[in-house]
Amino acid sequence: MKKVIYYLFFYAVFCLLQFFFGRYLNIGGVFPNFILIAVVYLGLSRGKMGAQTMGFLYGLTWDSFSTDVFGVRAIMFTLIGYFSGALSKNFDKDQIFAQITLVVAANIIYWLGFSLLYFVIPDGAGSYKPFVVSVYGSLKIFFTVLITPVVFFALNAITNRGRKYF
Amino acid sequence: MRDGKEPRYTNIVFFVLLITGFVFILIRLTPPVRLIKNFIYYAAYPNVSAANQIFQTAGDFAQNIKSMVYVRQENIFYKQKNQELVDKLRNYNEMKEQYDNLAHLLAVEKIKGSKSVFAKITAREPSEWYQWLIINKGSAAGLYDGLPVAVVTDGGRLCAAGRIVETNSFSSKIALITNILSSTPVRIKGKNISCLAEGFNSNLIKISYIASNENISVGDEIEISPLSSAFPSGMPVGKIISVSSAQSTDFKTAVAEVFFESDALYEAVILVPQDENNSGQNK
Repeated sequence: MKKVIYYLFFYAVFCLLQFFFGRYLNIGGVFPNFILIAVVYLGLSRGKMGAQTMGFLYGLTWDSFSTDVFGVRAIMFTLIGYFSGALSKNFDKDQIFAQITLVVAANIIYWLGFSLLYFVIPDGAGSYKPFVVSVYGSLKIFFTVLITPVVFFALNAITNRGRKYF
Repeated sequence: MRDGKEPRYTNIVFFVLLITGFVFILIRLTPPVRLIKNFIYYAAYPNVSAANQIFQTAGDFAQNIKSMVYVRQENIFYKQKNQELVDKLRNYNEMKEQYDNLAHLLAVEKIKGSKSVFAKITAREPSEWYQWLIINKGSAAGLYDGLPVAVVTDGGRLCAAGRIVETNSFSSKIALITNILSSTPVRIKGKNISCLAEGFNSNLIKISYIASNENISVGDEIEISPLSSAFPSGMPVGKIISVSSAQSTDFKTAVAEVFFESDALYEAVILVPQDENNSGQNK
């Protein structure tokens, strides 16, 4: 039951951050990918099972809010959650270098997977151009990586404080 | 670093989630999901823009479904049309075959004083290929023993093929001119040289009793001699392919290739004399 509450709380916080507070947290229109950080954090702290399931749910939610092809993000976040969980025994989530490395890798997987899926199903791509490195995309990755230690620190603090509840 | 153990079914769940994601992509759930999202959004914050979006999305969704239904109906219609055309084409091919056959038969030359009865060849034993064949007409069609049998070649020419030797009600047995038992009076076309054609159970016939002083050569055509009591005079038989080089005081021989074997043999023409009163009919 505690786990369920933890995951529900986690889900709600990051959905709010990503979908409702984006307009307040962006810098020049560039907004970090909080959900990606959350999935990587879950993978490192809770393992594959929690991270992949939450990744799938986050992906579905984001797909519902976006105009992209439904299911693309669900697949990408499931993959990222699974691989983050698989690396949780090799990486220490408290080390900033490990956090940044994993988030950079997750961003690259996300971009490559996204491009590959849209390359295979081009009719849903809209204005998105697969495998094209844009300034906006690069800035988004940079911003996400920059904010990662802060998010990890906050999450660690909340988890430690709420350990008796979660 | 984490030390906790993963549940055993983690990998299975991973694949199930991935497959579910791919299924969502493949079944193109984007329009209905967008419609539901817009509807929820309108329920939460009713405004004109959200309502417009709902109607637009619903319109697109309905349009897509309508297009799918039309495409399916069109597909069914074209499949039926295609089937009809295939049937017509099949009928056309059959009709064309029949037409070609009839046109071919119409081009067959008329033999004076005899009626042509067309019959299908129903049996030809491989071991007796050059000896006998069976046709599908017999005494019921007015045929009887001894009648000459010819074959139509591509040019509509009738070539001597054999004689009826056995007649039943609905079938007859024909002894071919290539049968070793057959001998037919023939002559060299254009040279008026009379001789005798004898079969020897192959596609060749032996031409014997050619006077040694006669000039015959390879390529000369053989036709039925006026001495033949069965075949009409002048009917083509074959073509000489070799002349014996052996010197003889009386006669020389030649070998000829029969015309009736040059084409696939499916039909035979039986020449029934019209002025006779069927006196020789098989009883």
